[in-house]
Amino acid sequence: MAKKEIGRREFLISGSIAAGALAVVGVGVKYLDISHTGEQLRQDFLRPPGAIDEVEFMYGCIKCGLCVQICPVQAIKLAGAHEGLSYGTPYIDVRAQPCDFSCDALQCVETCPTAVLNFEQFKEAGLKAIEKATEGTDLSNTDVNPFEVQKVAMKEAVLMGKAHVNKNTCLAHQRKGFKGISRGTDFEGIYRAPDSKYAYATPLKDKEFDREICNLCVTECPIGETAIEFSPGRGSGKMRPRVLDGCTGCGVCVMVCPTERPSIVVEPIKS
Amino acid sequence: MAFELIRSGKHKTPIKPKPIAEMPHTELGIDYKTWCDSHKGTHKWRNIRWSVLIFMNLLFVVSFAFDLAILEGSLSGSRLIGFYLMDPFNALQELAITSTTGYIVHLTMNFWIGLFTILLFWFFVGGRSYCSWMCPYHFLAELAEKLHNYLIKTKKIKEHAFHTGLRFVFWFGFIILALATQQLVFENLNVVGIVSRAMIYGPGLLLFWVFGILLFEIVYSKRFWCRYVCPIGTTWSFVGKLSPLTIKFELDKCGYCRDCQTVCLVPHELWFVQRGKATQETHYTGSDCTNCGLCIDTCAGNALSYTIKGWSAVL
Repeated sequence: MAKKEIGRREFLISGSIAAGALAVVGVGVKYLDISHTGEQLRQDFLRPPGAIDEVEFMYGCIKCGLCVQICPVQAIKLAGAHEGLSYGTPYIDVRAQPCDFSCDALQCVETCPTAVLNFEQFKEAGLKAIEKATEGTDLSNTDVNPFEVQKVAMKEAVLMGKAHVNKNTCLAHQRKGFKGISRGTDFEGIYRAPDSKYAYATPLKDKEFDREICNLCVTECPIGETAIEFSPGRGSGKMRPRVLDGCTGCGVCVMVCPTERPSIVVEPIKS
Repeated sequence: MAFELIRSGKHKTPIKPKPIAEMPHTELGIDYKTWCDSHKGTHKWRNIRWSVLIFMNLLFVVSFAFDLAILEGSLSGSRLIGFYLMDPFNALQELAITSTTGYIVHLTMNFWIGLFTILLFWFFVGGRSYCSWMCPYHFLAELAEKLHNYLIKTKKIKEHAFHTGLRFVFWFGFIILALATQQLVFENLNVVGIVSRAMIYGPGLLLFWVFGILLFEIVYSKRFWCRYVCPIGTTWSFVGKLSPLTIKFELDKCGYCRDCQTVCLVPHELWFVQRGKATQETHYTGSDCTNCGLCIDTCAGNALSYTIKGWSAVL
C-alpha cells in the first residue's frame, strides 16, 4: 500500500507526462498514417472480400480475427507489427493461399461485426440473382435451386483486385506447356478446382497437370469464363491467358502459376 | 435507500476504533501476530479465479486450433457459440470515430448485440471482475508482481506509486487520440489484445512491448498498467459503478492488520480497513475493485466476503 497520500501536485506532474506521451504517440501515428497514405496495397497484402476503403477500414477493424477463424481454407491472416498501423488487421497473401470461394457463402464478410467487410453488396447481388432466376418460374418446382444462382452471383460481386499477366515470364506466351505438380510437393496451398469432385478445397499438390500450352490460370479460375479466357493473341495468334472484366482478384491463378515467380499477379483495388 | 447502497460512506464521521479487548485475536485468546498469519497459504479464491481465467483463454485457443466454434475471435471481439461479444473500449473508440465520419450506420446488429450483452453480463458480475477473471495480461502481471514484491522485500528496488486518477488521463487521452488520428490507436498498444491475439493466432513482434511493460512493472512500479493505464479496466470500472456483485467488509471481524491492502491491486478501495477509518459497521468496495478475492483469502478474521449488494433489500 501507499505509505503516503499522493497529492494533487504529483497527479499534475504524472498527468502531464502521460498526456505528453499520448501526444507523442498521436503524432507518431499521424506521421505513419500520412507517410503510408497513397501507398498501394500489395499482392501479398490483399484485403479480404468486401473490404471497404482503406481509410475507413483502419478505424473500423477491431482486429478480432473472426474472419480469420471462419475461413475454411485459412486464406486470411492477421498482420504482424512490421505492417505498422495495420497490425492485427486481416490480409490475404494470394501466392501462399488465396480465397477460392469454396465456402460458397463469403462467411468472412458475413461474420464481420463492424462491417469493414461489407456484406450488403453481396446480399443484394445474391437476392437480385435469385429474383432474376426465379422470375416466371413455379417455385413449387423442386428442380429449381435458386441458391446455386445466389452463390455464383455473390462471388462474382467480389472485387479484391485485378489480375495481370506478365508476358515476359508466362509459359503460354513462350508457347511452353506444363507437366507435373504446379508448385511442388511441399506446397501447402489448397483450393477447390472447377473440375473437382469434392465440395471442399483439396491440396494443389494432389493434382497433376499435363498441358501442351500452359493454361492453369484459366482452367483453375473459380469464376470461369467471365474472368479469364484462353484465346489467340491478335497479332501472333498464339494462345495466351487474357484477364477479363469479371476478374475478382481472388488470386487462385497466382497460386497455381507454375513459374518460380508468379507470371500472373493481382493488383489490389481500393474500393 | 438504493442511493445509500452505492455510496461509500467515506463522507461520514469514522467509528471509534475497537479497544484491544474487543479485537478478534483477544476473543480467540491468541497472539496478534499468530492471528494475522493464520490464513497464510490460503489460496482458495485465487485458485478458482486462475482456473476460470486459464480455462476461458484456453477456450479461445482451442476453438481456433481445433475449429470447435465455442469461443471464436479474440478478446477484442468474439463469438460465444455464435453469439457476438464486443470489447467495450474498442467499441467506444469506434463509435467516437464513426460518429464523426458517418460510418456508424454500417455497424451491424451483431455489433450492437455484442456490445450490450457484454455490458449487461459484466455489470451483473462486478464490472472490473473482467480484469482478474478474464484478462490474460492480469495473470502475467500477477506473476510479475510476485517478482516485484521479492525485489522490494530484499530492498533491491524502491516502490514508485502514482495517482490513480492517471487512468482517466489515459482513458480520455486514448479516445481523443482515436478521434484525432482516425485510427484505433489504443489497440496497437493494448497489451491485453496483443497477448490474447498472440495466444490464439501465434506470437508476434509486439510481444516485446508486453515484455517491456512487464519489466517496467517488475523493476519500477507495481502493476503499472492495470493500476494507472489500462482504459479497458477503466471502462469496466464505469460499468461496475452500480454493479450488485462486490466485496463486503464487516468491521467487527477486522483486526486492523491491513494484509488485505498489501495484496490488493487497488488498495484505495479498501480504505476502510485501516484502524479508525471505517464509518459504518459494513462497507462495500467500490467499482475499481476487480473482485479478485485475494483480500478474502488473506483475511484472518474472515471480515471480507463476496456479496450481492442489495440482495437482502430485494428479499
